Amino acid sequence: MVIAALVTFAALLAAWILAPDRSGQPQLTDDAAAPQAAARIALAALDR
Amino acid sequence: MPEISAGDTAWVLMSAALVMLMTPGLALFYGGLVRRKNVLSTIMHSFFILGLVSVTWVLWGYTLAFGPDTGFGIIGGFEWLALEGVTGEPSDVYASTVPHLAFMAFQMMFAIITPALITGAFAERKRFKAFVLFAIAWSTLVYAPIAHWVWSPDGWLFGLGVLDFAGGTVVHLSSGVAALVAALFIGRRAGLIEPATEPHDVPMTVLGAALLWFGWFGFNAGSALGANGLAATAFVTTNTAAAMAAITWVTISWLHRGTPSVIGAAIGAVAGLVAITPAAGFVTPAAAILIGFGVGAACYGASLLRLRSHVDDALDVFAVHGVGGAFGALATGVFATTAVNAAGANGLLNGNPGQLITQAFGVVVVASYSALATGGILYLVNLVTPIRVTGDVEETGLDLAQHGEIAYQP
Repeated sequence: MVIAALVTFAALLAAWILAPDRSGQPQLTDDAAAPQAAARIALAALDR
Repeated sequence: MPEISAGDTAWVLMSAALVMLMTPGLALFYGGLVRRKNVLSTIMHSFFILGLVSVTWVLWGYTLAFGPDTGFGIIGGFEWLALEGVTGEPSDVYASTVPHLAFMAFQMMFAIITPALITGAFAERKRFKAFVLFAIAWSTLVYAPIAHWVWSPDGWLFGLGVLDFAGGTVVHLSSGVAALVAALFIGRRAGLIEPATEPHDVPMTVLGAALLWFGWFGFNAGSALGANGLAATAFVTTNTAAAMAAITWVTISWLHRGTPSVIGAAIGAVAGLVAITPAAGFVTPAAAILIGFGVGAACYGASLLRLRSHVDDALDVFAVHGVGGAFGALATGVFATTAVNAAGANGLLNGNPGQLITQAFGVVVVASYSALATGGILYLVNLVTPIRVTGDVEETGLDLAQHGEIAYQP
């Protein structure tokens, strides 16, 4: 049981290392993209 | 076989729940201080650690920190891997009137919040993947050994007589120094408006500070590990120091800047809570007033120095937790009295100047190890995945760029 628990966690750790990383521009591709993009512009303006 | 006390068990389990609430409280405290485009990523740091370290603590963290010593008081062994042998019966070593699992759960909450404290230093620019790897490595390679040194009866600093009632060195000094190293490693945020970016939601920060204050009663009074007079002492000294530091910080900022700062009240209270943490079960309420006053002034000065430096410790983790933790550890060496806790020691003002030297040695050792180990971990993580996000991501904000979500609709 202990080994199984450790292996399960190791699988998650591997997934975190291999998971895609949003390292560039926002990659919203669904219907939420339009309001999200508008929100981004508005937020950027507020932060300035 | 020691007998379980229902009262002690109820108090320790309740205290564990109180300390658990501190991590979401910290998320709100930090979340309010950052720009609105990074509030979710900042909250996520604390919330994800709540899950992450809960699991690693069960798997290997607890046995490394509190398991039977492997020799020389450096680290625990693997006898309690995945909590094998840690049951509903009391431990032979720790908190003999509560189930061993209750003691483990209480300590788990400390292990969770400690790496979460560091996240304030690299807020608004740390890559999430790098954060996850850093949190696992830091809690394993820095927190667990230091906890063993100070709190295990076989720990080498414990053997030297270092007093740390609830984590001034183990939790706050270690994380505060790590935060400073992390801030130096990752560099300054882009697009900062000097001298600092305005907090985007002060009520959120005050709510977070209030939850931290509330949870801290579990942190410190719970460290008595029983429902007894020592817990009551720690409860009162904790509240007294927090209150005194809050009003001291506000007063200094009022005199210095001309206005009594609301954020100052929140940060001042946290500084007081940090400083009383190592002393809570060793000093009198009157001493807690002096500790609160001293740390309010010391941490205010440290935050001013940070603003004038080029170090972008974004949310002043070092100024509050590093300086406050060291201050509290040294103050313990000054004010401690066996009249409060016979299991402790007298400090400088009670005829034992050696205790202050012992405390200072503990501070130097913990700070040095945390600095070196944190630097090494950051270097290695950076080899696996860049610690810092790209300039585009930083400009867009981590909420949208890293997590695909935003906190507020425009």
